[in-house]
Amino acid sequence: MIVVADLFKSYGRFGRRAQALSGVSLEVRRGETVGLIGPNGAGKTTLLSCLLGFLRPDRGTVTVGGLAPDDLAVRAMTGYMPERLGFDRDLTGAAFLSHHWRLAGGDPRDTGRQVAAAAARVELPGEALLRKLSGYSRGMLQRIGVAQAMLRDPQLLFLDEPASGTDPLGVAIVRDRILEAKGRGATIVLNSHQLPEVERVCDRVVFLSGGRVTQSQALRGPDPAPRRASVRVPGDRADAAIAALARDGVAAHALPDGTLSFPISAEEDLARAVKALALADIPVLDARSSADLEEMFRTGGRT
Amino acid sequence: MIEMVRRFLRQRFGSPAMATALGVLALMTAAQAATDPEGALSTGFIALALIGAGVVSRDASSGALQMILARPIKRSAYLFGRYAGIIATFGVFQLVAAALALVIRLLVRGSLEPAVPEIARGIAAGLANALLLAAILLFFSTFLPGYADILAMLMGLGALALFPGIAAQLRLPTAARFGEQLRENILPRVDWSEVLRGRHTLGEPTGQFVLAVVVFLTLAALIFSRREFSYGRD
Repeated sequence: MIVVADLFKSYGRFGRRAQALSGVSLEVRRGETVGLIGPNGAGKTTLLSCLLGFLRPDRGTVTVGGLAPDDLAVRAMTGYMPERLGFDRDLTGAAFLSHHWRLAGGDPRDTGRQVAAAAARVELPGEALLRKLSGYSRGMLQRIGVAQAMLRDPQLLFLDEPASGTDPLGVAIVRDRILEAKGRGATIVLNSHQLPEVERVCDRVVFLSGGRVTQSQALRGPDPAPRRASVRVPGDRADAAIAALARDGVAAHALPDGTLSFPISAEEDLARAVKALALADIPVLDARSSADLEEMFRTGGRT
Repeated sequence: MIEMVRRFLRQRFGSPAMATALGVLALMTAAQAATDPEGALSTGFIALALIGAGVVSRDASSGALQMILARPIKRSAYLFGRYAGIIATFGVFQLVAAALALVIRLLVRGSLEPAVPEIARGIAAGLANALLLAAILLFFSTFLPGYADILAMLMGLGALALFPGIAAQLRLPTAARFGEQLRENILPRVDWSEVLRGRHTLGEPTGQFVLAVVVFLTLAALIFSRREFSYGRD
């Protein structure tokens, strides 16, 4: 669906050029959800800008379904939500969504119904639609941003920090909308620092560092990313728990909050560890596993 | 393009500060027009500057432009929609000012005659002048940031007006003639009251005026089609 080949992009003029992307190559398959991860300044925003056709690469190519990213046929199936939502503050929520519905090529006669439906999907109350965007909280702006991106059920979604600044309910709503789009087969590129959310919705993560792709890692399927288990036991039994796990061949260490952490290769490893602790008569208060994105982030994707 | 015009009107009249400023300006223009109908309505330069300032550049810096360009619309549709938006908003302003002028005239003189045709010609002349000024503003807005477009236009027009006189004072006749030529081509003086009465419609100034509008719009479209718009920093 999206093919990026040997992409170079720099900013500035003459002797003061800063290289933002240095030979990025990437492929996103139709229906895949890919998370772009990397530290600030890694080139994620520049890459998204190139994918959307806002920036022209110095070298290399970007194609979407074989077409240029700024081709109107590509635009017709694209939904986009920027990280920054500081615009059109004097428009009401309803006027903003109506405007984007019509821009997206929606039937003008159906505007009212579609706007109400889009707002309902992100749980924005009807009363909020009558207020100006200048009166919206950050969380509400994020929600209406997601609502506009999802108008007309686009087959291609570019989302930049969609849940940034939202409360836990907002995070859940944004996640549900992404999963919904994913469920209907949309191709999604997600730029986010919220690693747990990335893990929940993405099929694959791409690490960018210093303008290069340092790692591309599947989160699901036959070759998933390394995972890490966290097991919480009573504070006074942590040492005993570490010893019990060591007897079972698991090298766990205690985090500052008393939680035991250890790498696993499959969910069954976590079940075995819990069983070992139970047999040692150590209560397990909580047990969970997650992809070790934080560690990958720390090492710049070079794990 | 209609959607762009609609958005522009909403942006300008949806802002309480802008609506108030335009209201006050309309009242001032009307008060003047009540006594000098053709003169005042064609001098809505401040209103036009207020309406058109940051026409593209503010959208680009706020990120709104990028959201629009992600939609299936051509860049030229956006650009000319913004241009049409300035003209439409200025047209509304002129109509409100004209209506207020008629009310003031009725209250002061007890009769609308012969103000109506004069005021109508004043509106038309103001709109005609706005076509060129808005095109110049649009041109600057495609590559300058924030409100630098209006500053550039004011400085450019000021330089055009002053340059021939300064050159003449400095006894540089060639430079003075060049300045005059430049001014006549970039900012042709058309006697709209004559043209609107059907006289000298196809005269040289009218042709220069049309050409200037077309050149500024073409340059704006050319620059805008080549420009890059990042929506943030890495």
